[in-house]
Amino acid sequence: MTTVAAAPDPKRQRLQHALALVLPAMLFGFLVTAQWQGQQERSQIAVRYNAPLTDAAFALQKEQNDLKAQLQDLRAQLDQIQASAASQSGAASDLAKRLGELKAQAGLSALSGDGVVVQLDDSHTVAPGATNLDQAICHSTDLTDILNTAWRGGARAISVNAQRVVSSTSVYCVGSTIMVNGTLLSPPFNIAVIGPQDSVLGAFDDPNQLRDIKARRDVQGLGFRVTRASTITVPAYDGALTVRIAVPQ
Amino acid sequence: MRTSAGGIAATIVALFLGVLVVTQVRSQDVYSRSLQLETPASLTTLIANLSDRNNSLRDEIFDLRLRVTAARDSVANGQGSLTESQREIDQLKIFAAVSPARGQGITVKIDGTFDDRAMSDLVNELRNAGAEAIAVNDMRIGPRSWLGPGPDRTIILDGRQLNGPWTVKAIGSSDVVYVAITRTGGIEGQFQLIYPRTRFAVAKETTLDVAAVATPR
Repeated sequence: MTTVAAAPDPKRQRLQHALALVLPAMLFGFLVTAQWQGQQERSQIAVRYNAPLTDAAFALQKEQNDLKAQLQDLRAQLDQIQASAASQSGAASDLAKRLGELKAQAGLSALSGDGVVVQLDDSHTVAPGATNLDQAICHSTDLTDILNTAWRGGARAISVNAQRVVSSTSVYCVGSTIMVNGTLLSPPFNIAVIGPQDSVLGAFDDPNQLRDIKARRDVQGLGFRVTRASTITVPAYDGALTVRIAVPQ
Repeated sequence: MRTSAGGIAATIVALFLGVLVVTQVRSQDVYSRSLQLETPASLTTLIANLSDRNNSLRDEIFDLRLRVTAARDSVANGQGSLTESQREIDQLKIFAAVSPARGQGITVKIDGTFDDRAMSDLVNELRNAGAEAIAVNDMRIGPRSWLGPGPDRTIILDGRQLNGPWTVKAIGSSDVVYVAITRTGGIEGQFQLIYPRTRFAVAKETTLDVAAVATPR
């Protein structure tokens, strides 16, 4: 008896061939992508050599926090002495009153009141290394534009992540790191604005204001939200006064 | 091995699938900022900035300790703390921009195309360099000042139109502020690239006078 082998089913054969290609192709695709993205990881690994510099920056920031606490303590002591002196004479009492007014104008007193809160954050939908990354993250100029709009809307006091905005405040950007009042800050940024709510909200809603930020929110998913807020508190400025050259006339 | 059209199609689909799977997995790791990702040059600049700020804080702490002691002695002697209070008032009047101010500094003259956002950047840079009192065309910048675009390429400062050419006065250590503005890669250089037809002239001044803010808020 002879056995005749059954002829292979052409459909089944094509499927086997296709499957034989699918697995290596998937593996290849996986490897190509992993390799491409690995280039970015390598650049991140390379910056590990920055460790001593990063440690130094963190140490200086910690030192700054300690120095600010000391400064606040000394300012409180001087306030107490001046308050005690104010009870001794009319002249001292007038000076204490004037000091209180000037501190409020300069931002050296905490302030509470109604206003708005602005939240600004990097996009959470963009992948690292994406070509539009620059558009999807917040920059120092976004913060200065928001502060400018809030002042324009009649703000009385503003803070950015608890840093009071005063006459010497700068928003400084080095690489992708942002400093406000010389303090390292990271997103999300919470900008507390005390002022007439309708007027401040009106300034933010004005289509001619913050056009770039609003477009990036709509297209790249940049986090930008303005909300009405009741009884918010803006802390007192806790940095140095840095008035060393200028003298009043 | 015989290749069919279906096999080629499946291969292409699988290739893209592989790419998509990895991209999707990676995209879950949203961009996050970290000092570790900064270049050594950026970190060095950050460290210099932090050091400067900390030195200013140390100077003020030293000064304030002396003032606290002096004020305490004055009160103990029944003299009140008038001198210390007056010193603090003088300092705060400058800081709040409610008093005219005088001192050394720099002037930045801008002749040509310029705009409110660039002016805002310049003011920000001057503040970061330690400028203590700033004025544009003799109008003082206050703690709550805002800038906006005006008609015919003018600039609005606190609701008032300022026509070019503009002169920005900044009182502060003239050497420090001058270097901060004119350094290689600094804001003056950036402006010269962005506004090639505009003339920028930065000069140190031994004495500058700036007015108080027009209407303190």
